[in-house]
Amino acid sequence: MNDSLVMVGLSNVLTFTNIALILGGTLLGLFVGAMPGLSATMALALLLPLTFTMDPATGLSMLASLYVGASYGGSIAAILLRTPGTPSAAATVLDGFPLSQQGQAGKALGVSLFASFFGGLMSGIALLTAAPLLGVLVLKFGPVELFAIAVLGITIIGSLSQGSIVSGLLSGIMGLLLSTVGMDLITGTPRMTFGNINLFSGIEFTVALIGLFSIPQALILIENAHDSDKVASKITDRLVPRLKELRTLMPNILRSGGIGIVTGLIPGTGGDTASWFAYNEAKRFAKDKTRFGKGDIAGVAAPEAANNAVVGGALIPTIALGIPGSSSTAILLGALMVQGILPGPNLLTDYGDVTYTLIWAVIFANIGLLAVGLMFTRLCVGVTKVPDSFVACAIITLCVIGAFAINNSLFEVGLMLGFGLFGYWMNKAGISPAPMVIGLILGPVMETSFQQSMLIGQNSPMIFVESPIAMVLLGIAVLSILQATPVFRWLRSSLRRGARTG
Amino acid sequence: MKHRGAYAAILLSTLLLPGAAMAEYSAGDEIKVLQGFKAGGGSDALAQLTQPFLRESLGVDFVNEYLPGATGAIAWTRLAKQTEADGTTISITNTPMLMTNYIMNDTITYSVDELTPIANVVTDPGIIVVPAESPYETVEEFLAAAEENPGTITVGNSGVGGDDFFSTILIEQASGISFQKVPFQGDGPSATAAMGGQIDASFNNLGNVYGHIQSGSLRPLAVFARERLSMLPDVPTLSEKGIEVVAGSSRGYSAPAGIPEEARQQLIDAFEALKTNEEFKKVAEERAMNLDIQTGDDYRQMIEDMEGQFEEIWASVKDEING
Repeated sequence: MNDSLVMVGLSNVLTFTNIALILGGTLLGLFVGAMPGLSATMALALLLPLTFTMDPATGLSMLASLYVGASYGGSIAAILLRTPGTPSAAATVLDGFPLSQQGQAGKALGVSLFASFFGGLMSGIALLTAAPLLGVLVLKFGPVELFAIAVLGITIIGSLSQGSIVSGLLSGIMGLLLSTVGMDLITGTPRMTFGNINLFSGIEFTVALIGLFSIPQALILIENAHDSDKVASKITDRLVPRLKELRTLMPNILRSGGIGIVTGLIPGTGGDTASWFAYNEAKRFAKDKTRFGKGDIAGVAAPEAANNAVVGGALIPTIALGIPGSSSTAILLGALMVQGILPGPNLLTDYGDVTYTLIWAVIFANIGLLAVGLMFTRLCVGVTKVPDSFVACAIITLCVIGAFAINNSLFEVGLMLGFGLFGYWMNKAGISPAPMVIGLILGPVMETSFQQSMLIGQNSPMIFVESPIAMVLLGIAVLSILQATPVFRWLRSSLRRGARTG
Repeated sequence: MKHRGAYAAILLSTLLLPGAAMAEYSAGDEIKVLQGFKAGGGSDALAQLTQPFLRESLGVDFVNEYLPGATGAIAWTRLAKQTEADGTTISITNTPMLMTNYIMNDTITYSVDELTPIANVVTDPGIIVVPAESPYETVEEFLAAAEENPGTITVGNSGVGGDDFFSTILIEQASGISFQKVPFQGDGPSATAAMGGQIDASFNNLGNVYGHIQSGSLRPLAVFARERLSMLPDVPTLSEKGIEVVAGSSRGYSAPAGIPEEARQQLIDAFEALKTNEEFKKVAEERAMNLDIQTGDDYRQMIEDMEGQFEEIWASVKDEING
């Protein structure tokens, strides 16, 4: 690594303008992230033309800090309102909102902020020290390996099925089924679009997410508006987590940060996938699994550490190889091109001054996030003091705006409301929407990569066996399915018995 | 929280609005540009390149409206069917997607006859790239290998209906060779798969892979341009090798059919002027955008030629693909 370029980057960041813009970008990211439907990618695309006139280092610092801010901002609405502000905060809802209902919103938000900070910092350091090394890994992940990741991801559905496995599987399969809507990648044939060209590109995942989580929540708030006992408004707990608590959560945060970095690295998977993986692993490693879904703080720390670690992770292939690791980094890459910097492996050498400035900006944006987040979050907690019926109206309004903003079309608004009603029914029927969301995220990845693998492998499934990475991942997937079946329990108990007698 | 967010959004949009303009353009002082893809993508890059210059010469403000979905067909249907033909609304038109959309899908009902082509601005020529460690050093070796093992050499493209997909078929038909075509979701993933050696070659576009070629992670074998490119003087064209295929991904501007002749001519003149604008050419080169300005009837001819060509190709391969 070129030490002098690292220092040039550091001194580039440490100017008054750049620090101010990093803080500004982080704050803007927080706002955008907190709004359901407005994603980091969208905000980056909007901000992009503004940076054309700026110095490359300044413009990129601001864009990077916005990305960092938005990755945390999504959790605020997820915890307080059960409406994920960004797709990657969907997993945070599962334990964040119950905590908020139990009057511990401050604790949940605080842990989310610190987990985001540590996850982001980890990925920033990985970016600074190991980018060229880790970047090469990306090329090992082709369609075959991506298929294995998607299959592994689908097995999460099993562990998310709280209560009834059958209803969890039902929800997951509905998600997979809905993900098949749209043009077939291989033939270009529109499937289940009923002649409506708005469905040709498939169902926009964010539309389903907003509908499934936010609208039912708003309706439930209205239903219970006249109940006298409103627990959420009694926020007496502190925002800054206790040191002891952080220490207990640290292994979880480190593991989730690692998951976030790796998931970010691989093109085709991003924050939305990483947070579910991290949540699942946190649950797997927990001593008491029954508290998950009912307000376990580890269920907040894991997805939030992971989705902020994705930022640095996704930037690794971007700067090491010129391959964007996520849709947001694709826009950052566009920003580089506009500045006359052509993406490729020479980003770290020929354009090292700009690239290292970007890396330092990510690290400083995470530090800025901690400061800005503490102030901003305190304000947000005020939301819980607003009467429920007002909050419900605000949620619905934000959902409509968010759904419209995705494609600037009313069709998505209608679709979102449809998902909302369906989500409300699911809620009443006791079916969790979480597996459906996973199906919607991973369905297209799984299908596309499977079709591509079969084309590359001349229609022979042997192609999956030939890839060691895919075999390991598929092996883990099989194990985690077995783990949920009686076969596994029987095996384990008979093994134990065998050990005792033998 | 929400109010502040809204203020921030308003602040942002005011900053994005261009400054005051003088009224010269006959149809009005504002032109709405429908974009069929998300903000921040390739179409947006073209808008950011050309519109500041056009704003000067036409004296109008440009307002971009993003209507992503169905590979641009939502925006182009709106342009052809639901837009008043008064010259105040135009759209960025990507070829060959503009035509292949309705050639391949009966549900998409607009056609180029319902449009007034104004000008093509950029063309990103097609290119064959192979991994750095590929055994194929020249395009001859590559084609010979494909001829020996029909249907087994894997070739990535940017998706069914895109320019790379059709140029693969054009090459197959012109040379009698058959490849195993592997569609990806865009040029980027197709190039990445070639870099990782998951596919034997990627049929891509120069602008997307130039950085990787320079750094040596991808090797160019041939370009689908009329003449050799100044950026890659050592890479032969396909026609040099006896395969008459010229293809690429182009972006330009079109209006609805029947806009006032005066407005049409003013728009065309503004794009014509870009041909000799040195500053514009410099900016385009910095952003690695390959200019190919063809205005008015020339652009219409270009579109109609492609339409005919692709209709023919699709008719000959659709049963095989859908079968």
